Amino acid sequence: MGERHGHGGSSDRRVAHPGEAGRPDLGELLASAVRAETVDAESEARAVAAFRTARDEGALAARTRRRDDWRPREQRRAIRSLKAMCAVLLASLTLGGVAVAAIGSASDEDGDDQGRATARPSRSVPDRPAAESLPGESPTLATPDPSGRGRASAHPTQAQDTVAHCRAYDSVKDRGKALNSTAWQRLVTAAGGEDKVAAYCAEQLADAPRNGNGNGAGTGNTKQPGATQGPASPATASPTKPAKSNGKP
Amino acid sequence: MQARDAELGAAVARAQEGDEVAFAAAYRIVQPGLLGYLRGIVGDDAEDVASDAWLEIARDLGRFRGDGAGFRGWTATIARHRALDHLRRLKVRPRATALEQDLLELPGAYNTHDQALESLSTQDALRMVAGLPRDQAEAVLLRVVVGLDGPAAARVLGKRPGAVRTAAHRGLKRLAQQLGVGGVTDEGPRTLGESG
Repeated sequence: MGERHGHGGSSDRRVAHPGEAGRPDLGELLASAVRAETVDAESEARAVAAFRTARDEGALAARTRRRDDWRPREQRRAIRSLKAMCAVLLASLTLGGVAVAAIGSASDEDGDDQGRATARPSRSVPDRPAAESLPGESPTLATPDPSGRGRASAHPTQAQDTVAHCRAYDSVKDRGKALNSTAWQRLVTAAGGEDKVAAYCAEQLADAPRNGNGNGAGTGNTKQPGATQGPASPATASPTKPAKSNGKP
Repeated sequence: MQARDAELGAAVARAQEGDEVAFAAAYRIVQPGLLGYLRGIVGDDAEDVASDAWLEIARDLGRFRGDGAGFRGWTATIARHRALDHLRRLKVRPRATALEQDLLELPGAYNTHDQALESLSTQDALRMVAGLPRDQAEAVLLRVVVGLDGPAAARVLGKRPGAVRTAAHRGLKRLAQQLGVGGVTDEGPRTLGESG
């Protein structure tokens, strides 16, 4: 029983011999007066029963909220900063993964869906003529998938953008201003740096003709980029313009 | 108190692994101070409020992180929220508390220290504490009766440590004057009527 109120016990001794420290300590005096002398057995049993129920329901595995963390402040701060670091790392990995996956899926689409893939570069890469060639082509190409066609002419896929940019890149790369435009920045970012653009483009261009060879229209397609390069080269005269129209779908 | 905190910390750690005997041990260490604190805030309803608090403590024990001293702070925070809920309910259905009625019959200054010490009953002490402004009463109870350090008491009350230290100091000084005893170690300038 004496153990049950540890703090009270020491105060009781002080109360019995108040003279030993000259003056009694008010804090201890109060503590011994206000602290409960004994612990009510029934209340204790109720609390323990509640604990048992919670434990059996698996409540002990509950997540710690901020208000439940009473570790010393330095420890808490260290853990929090470690957590923040992990979160940043995870976020960057995730975003990086998404970017890589997006590149992958766009080029997959080219390979799988050849009807659309071959139709699109011819119409969407040369910016203005697309509007003229559209009525002529749409009866044959649009019927299977009108919605897809609509989307295709309005938004060239990223891979096709990339291929087009790669083709134009060689002629533009030495002009600093042109490289600042959004589309070029995107190309450089996708390649992972300005010095890696050449390698990246080589890879992209190697993929592009392979897609075109899949069907009859493919031969037209492989020619078409050649024609695209025609407009692209004059485009170097006003480099930002074609970049804008392609880069801003 | 510190040896007790180590014991408490060990008990809490074992209880978090599912040991109900350890949970009971932690209960016995914490409950006297917690109940004293609650008596200071809600008077005779302290036992009921403490029971509510322990249900929550038992349920959320797995969430807690910290040592013995931290456990005192965590449990005091839970008890305080339950007490404030209780007081809000009382406000809806008001009732005069015994503590407030008896304030005028406080024991006067004692002739000797011995007399003060021998005759300070739990009721007298609680009346005196209840006579303090609320922030002082809570600060004194958390520091002295629950045994929290300054920063922990401040966290329970949601205030800055400096404000809580001042409140505790003023509260103790006032109690000392009423009792006619010394014991407030940090002697500030003694002016009357500076409370609050």
